[in-house]
Amino acid sequence: MAWLYLLAYWIVALIAVAFVYALWNRGLQGGLRVQSTESGPGSPMEDLPERVLAGGPSVPVFEGDRMQVELRIDSGHGTRGPARISGAIAATPLAAAAGVIPKQGWAEVRAMGPLRRGPVGAKDWVLESGDPLGLFRHRGPSFDSELALVLPRFKSLAERTQTRELEASLAAPRAGSGTEMFGVREYRPGDPLRRIHWRSSARHGELIVREFEPPGVQILGIFCDPSPATPEVADQIARVAASEAWDCLRGGGRVVLWAPGAEASRPDEARSLWALLEWLARYPYHPDVVRPLPPRVGDAIAVMSTPSIDIDDALQGIRQRGGSVRAWVVGETELDSDMPTHHAGLEWPL
Amino acid sequence: MAPVRLRLPASPVESSLEGRAFVFSAFSVAVLAVVLYGEDYVVPIIALAATAIGHVVSYRERAQKRGIRRQVLLAGLVFAALAYFLADSVGAIFGGVLPQANFAILLVAVTSFDLKTRRNCYSSMWISLAILYLAAVYAWDYPFGVLLALWAICLAGFWAASHLRRMEARVTLPTKAVATALGGALALGIVAFFLIPQANLEPSGPVLVSLPNFVGFRGEMENPALPLIQLSGDPSGATSSVDLHYRGRLGNAPVMYVRTGAPAYWRGLVFDKYENGVWTASKHSYTVLQPYVPPRFLPPAPPNNNGTFVQVFRVMRPLPGVISAAYPIQSLYAPVSALREDAYGTFRTPDVLRPGQTYSVVSYLPNITATELSRDPYVFNPPDENQAYLDRGTLSAEARALAERVTHDHSSNQYELVMALTNYLQQNFQYTQQLGHVPAGRDPIDWFLFDVKQGYCEQFATTEVMLLRSLGIPARLATGYSTGDYNPVLDQAVVRERDAHAWVEVWFANHGWVPVDPSPGFPALAATQFPNHWAAAGIARLIPHLTVGAPMAVLGSLGALAAIPVGVAIALLVTLLWAWARTRRRRTAAARATPGESELLRLYERVQRRLGRRRAPPETPLEYFHGRLPSPLPEGERELLGELTEAVNEGAYAGRWPEPSRVRELSKRLS
Repeated sequence: MAWLYLLAYWIVALIAVAFVYALWNRGLQGGLRVQSTESGPGSPMEDLPERVLAGGPSVPVFEGDRMQVELRIDSGHGTRGPARISGAIAATPLAAAAGVIPKQGWAEVRAMGPLRRGPVGAKDWVLESGDPLGLFRHRGPSFDSELALVLPRFKSLAERTQTRELEASLAAPRAGSGTEMFGVREYRPGDPLRRIHWRSSARHGELIVREFEPPGVQILGIFCDPSPATPEVADQIARVAASEAWDCLRGGGRVVLWAPGAEASRPDEARSLWALLEWLARYPYHPDVVRPLPPRVGDAIAVMSTPSIDIDDALQGIRQRGGSVRAWVVGETELDSDMPTHHAGLEWPL
Repeated sequence: MAPVRLRLPASPVESSLEGRAFVFSAFSVAVLAVVLYGEDYVVPIIALAATAIGHVVSYRERAQKRGIRRQVLLAGLVFAALAYFLADSVGAIFGGVLPQANFAILLVAVTSFDLKTRRNCYSSMWISLAILYLAAVYAWDYPFGVLLALWAICLAGFWAASHLRRMEARVTLPTKAVATALGGALALGIVAFFLIPQANLEPSGPVLVSLPNFVGFRGEMENPALPLIQLSGDPSGATSSVDLHYRGRLGNAPVMYVRTGAPAYWRGLVFDKYENGVWTASKHSYTVLQPYVPPRFLPPAPPNNNGTFVQVFRVMRPLPGVISAAYPIQSLYAPVSALREDAYGTFRTPDVLRPGQTYSVVSYLPNITATELSRDPYVFNPPDENQAYLDRGTLSAEARALAERVTHDHSSNQYELVMALTNYLQQNFQYTQQLGHVPAGRDPIDWFLFDVKQGYCEQFATTEVMLLRSLGIPARLATGYSTGDYNPVLDQAVVRERDAHAWVEVWFANHGWVPVDPSPGFPALAATQFPNHWAAAGIARLIPHLTVGAPMAVLGSLGALAAIPVGVAIALLVTLLWAWARTRRRRTAAARATPGESELLRLYERVQRRLGRRRAPPETPLEYFHGRLPSPLPEGERELLGELTEAVNEGAYAGRWPEPSRVRELSKRLS
């Protein structure tokens, strides 16, 4: 019957046109971006001075924060659609799709969190486009990337009574009056006026003073447990280490982080809070084949959950060179050592 | 052995409101088609309202589990619909109009309360397609194509909405692009419809479009002629004879629509006895047959026939109980309780054919050509020993002399003789429907031949029959309808009152009864032929010089020069193919990796797998080399990894990929 032919031709024509449409709809590009973060309760973001934040990543993410991820589809050739982008972020499957992709692109924001410390990986992200009928589909190549690095939380431990008692045993590095200038910092009451760096002060809108290497300043080494028993213990070790590093840096000191079997943080980044936090965000490390030697530091703090011969040896060496050492123990383990030791549970803040 | 699962995979719940709206729209289009073309109103409109409610209920409760009570209720309603169908089909209790379509419509209405999954929605769509198909049987005009287009759009809409919902996207699309695509698809479909020849499938039997009613035969055989002559006052216009003294009025109203694989004469009754200007049938015997008459009950197929074709007749006005069809018939089906086949091979129904009634016939297409018929010898013995076929009655000597004179120089074979007489009548007499009464006492044939020299089809046909008989050739009068307004695109003909016609059937020794038409304006040899199924050719015929054969004729007129345009076309095609192949080769070459590159990267991947740690995406080869590995490397392997790293770095950053031989050497060292 003629009518059936007509209907059949229309259906075949729809399929043929759908194929052409699917070809036309190719050439889209997908992407991911951390749009913003929402600080969780107790996030160090609120305590960090503006100057420190300015030197950090554009959107720093701390554990416990929430993150808004923008899933984006761009069209370089005008309005297109439909398209779908899908994949997994930190093992959480996500997908977003739109019927129309405008010329200026399309985006959808998804909230994630609270986040755990460590790299946030985006895996198997793929962009699919096709015809509106769903008959033909084009799958772009899948891509993986590291979307964000969630930094450990930290909090100054300087106010803790227990810590103060130990102050005497450890020479806290401070901004001294040496001759080698190694940086600038915000003005604190009592700083000599001649140290004010007027050009930087004008640029930042607050008083900035030049800092000079204190005479005889030592680099503080923070040695982390090479193999924490659980991820929770590793998180706590990272938090304690970050807190100690923060206190040291605030006092004008330098910090090198190290775990036996892993590369130490770079000495030229010993004044960078963000570089140290990134090192701690990736902690613990798989033991390297070539076991790097402990860094040469003046004083050291060990943060451990179980005794480590490598750390003991490193601390012994520092002591022999006249440096001061102390330790944090996460958990109930007792160290067979005469060095000053603090104990911490898994709760945060301490 | 694992058990075989026969269950279909689970279909997802259809959550697209828009998709369901398209399913409902498709059903509405099908219902509209039934209303418009089937002229069936009550059931479709009630069912449409019920279906709308059903869709709302189904959408709201799509996530809920099916309850046993509702399932039982729906099953009961389906059976009720089936009971309605049987009652309407057999007893015509509800009017008997399109009972199958009504059943399908009720089925959709009932199941619309249980449309949960996508598969359910598809089922509803396909049933609405079946309804549309049933409506198409009654559709005889191009606007039906609009309904088909709407249905196709609904199908596309359902696909799109369902797909977007599955993607978890809002149901929005680029308007311009989608409108262009949809318009393109519709245009493409129409172009394909007009350009692609529609396959002429070999029919396996008549198309069954409705079930029979059970009105039986009353009394003996009658010969209800077609309304050429209205004498007796029969409401159907039927009479039992054809009287040349009178002529009924013929209007323009359609009497039947014929869906046919080939345009033909729709033959009804035939008459063999002519007396005093009146045709009657001399034989009154008949055979009773079932409504479906298979080929085994009918005469054998004509020799060297050109195949068969189906005709579906839809009666538009009350007609005598005669099956009009193209002859010879291969098989037929009529929605009646029984059929009678008379002595002339015509089929009768128990009651008059009423408007809306349909029947279907499969006919042979005999191979009747001038060449074929010219081979047939003269026939002097009438078929079936029926001397009536040779009875010249009271034909005047003047008329006989005329026949002798006309055919004197054309007697080499019977066909030539018949055509000589036919052409003589066509060329020397005028066709008119404004003919006065035959004067009292004057023979109608003589009056036609020698007095008025004009007449309508009965005059022409009767005269030729009698002249042929006077020459000793068996002939008879056939009545029925000419083809009518035939549409080669839709393969259908609209037959009107004015298409009522009479013609001659001449007996040929090897071909049986052959239709011959002496009326001016009709083909002398009324042989049925398959139409040109290139619909475009049908349209192109309307435009002079644009027939399909025209380009070939133009080429043929060029003689040897015709090779030039063909050669140019071939050269153009070859050039285009060469350009395409070259572009493709260049693109492939551009995309092909530098020698050594893929081999080196494959080896690098292999080494990474062997070392137990894959290089992280942000990690450079050098960082990987200096990085941590699960286990310490022997010195040899570390050295190899160093060389590999250096080679990869040089390739990736400096574009200097190593020779494949160098890669092979590294590979050998690795193994």
